[in-house]
Amino acid sequence: MKLSGGLYVLRETGRSLWRNAWMSVASISTVAISLLVLASFLVISINLNHVTAVLQSEVEVRVFMKSGTSRAAEMQLMDTARHWPDVRRVTFFTKRQAARALQSEFPAQQGLFALVQHSNPLFDGYDVFATTPQKIPQLAARFRAQAIVHNVIYQGQVVHRLVRLSKIMQWTGWIIESLLSVATLFIIMNTIRLAVFARRREIHVMKLVGATDWFIRWPFVLEGLVLGLIGAALSLTVVANGYRWIVNEASVAVPFWPMAPFQQVVSQTALFIMVGGVLIGALASAVAVHRFLRV
Amino acid sequence: MKQTIRFEGVSKQYANGHQGLVEVNLEIRRGEFVFLVGPSGAGKSTLVRLLYGEERLNAGEIYVDQFRLRVLTHRQMPRLRRQLGIVFQDGKLLPSRTVYQNVAFAMEVVGASSRDIKKRVPHVLELVGLSRRRDNFPHQLSGGEQQRVGIARALVNRPSYIVADEPTGNLDPETGQDIMKLFVEINRIGATIIMATHAKDLVDRFQKRVVAIEAGRIVRDQLRGAYGYEA
Repeated sequence: MKLSGGLYVLRETGRSLWRNAWMSVASISTVAISLLVLASFLVISINLNHVTAVLQSEVEVRVFMKSGTSRAAEMQLMDTARHWPDVRRVTFFTKRQAARALQSEFPAQQGLFALVQHSNPLFDGYDVFATTPQKIPQLAARFRAQAIVHNVIYQGQVVHRLVRLSKIMQWTGWIIESLLSVATLFIIMNTIRLAVFARRREIHVMKLVGATDWFIRWPFVLEGLVLGLIGAALSLTVVANGYRWIVNEASVAVPFWPMAPFQQVVSQTALFIMVGGVLIGALASAVAVHRFLRV
Repeated sequence: MKQTIRFEGVSKQYANGHQGLVEVNLEIRRGEFVFLVGPSGAGKSTLVRLLYGEERLNAGEIYVDQFRLRVLTHRQMPRLRRQLGIVFQDGKLLPSRTVYQNVAFAMEVVGASSRDIKKRVPHVLELVGLSRRRDNFPHQLSGGEQQRVGIARALVNRPSYIVADEPTGNLDPETGQDIMKLFVEINRIGATIIMATHAKDLVDRFQKRVVAIEAGRIVRDQLRGAYGYEA
């Protein structure tokens, strides 16, 4: 397209957005709201993935030694346990490492950490990873039978169920997100169709004096793209601020819950919503204008 | 390249079964001025609309210069229409644009440079006698003036043919005659004119080629003809 054509497209887009200002506001809000719902589901789904990943990487069986056990005895048991059939991996930790891990896990609870620093009540121990979650109870029992073992804790059953739940949630999330994308597409399509309908005389005249389809289509496509982009930006602002608030609140109210980090959530959602908004807007306009070009 | 319009055995049947044209043969050469006359519903508008591709033909072939309309694709349509300047009974002006913008619009959409637009639009407005009205909106103009804007818009891309469908249909006789004089002037400077019309006295007065259509068939084709019906 020549420069004069490009200028024409830009001018027509601006003119149409301005002339149909209220219509534009209406479509931007509709787009923003549907993308907001879409973004919220995205945030939930990112968080579910995050929780699943955290839980999966977490220790499956944690074995604590009796205090006063010699380091040599602890190492000997670890070497033996490595060769048990259901053990995938064993890592040793000292009680000082345990305290440090506690600190990084609960950054908001500095009082607790001060207490732990003062006189460390924790134990040396092992993190034991089983080959399959089903073997965890037997493995735990076998450790518990050892003389130098103080205590064994595991959350195998819970992890197993959470992993399954999050898989289901992930799938439902994707289904709902695709449905919402389609709904958003139709909403923008209808909005642009109204704008196109209002200008059908103009389009008809353009066709009759010999304008090509793309020449007529471009301003509308660009208009849909701008509507989609503004709507996406609005919904993203709301979602980002909302999630920041939730993360802050959650770190105080439910500190043990692993929230997906703000940056990661916002950047992933932004990418999806912005690209989605622009594509949906442009596509919807192209489809909406199509019917009026058959002259 | 043959510079003619030729209808060969053209038939058009509408979806509702109405027969618009039946086996029409017609040749119009460069520089001619042709009136299409006949009662309402006889097929004048069908013939005109087939010519600029708003309706597609069912049988036969229409040649417009190098174009064959039967096989013309949707993508090629704009190129055909740039050879034709179309004038409508209701003008089809865009109400939110000024006289100047309405005419410039036709150049913009075919990708003319703004330099050409600034040069040609005032020239064409002068030709149709609307130089002083260039910044008015259509609703501020009389019917005749509106039709002049429509004619200016049809002319501005220098088409080989001007196709007009009842251009004086909404005008009083005196204004109609002024518009007709304008078409004669345009014809004199080189454009071929094809005009469907009901205006008996204008056809009789101007003595051009007359093609009469009845029930979709050409019943008379006469150089320097008269309307031949009671209007």
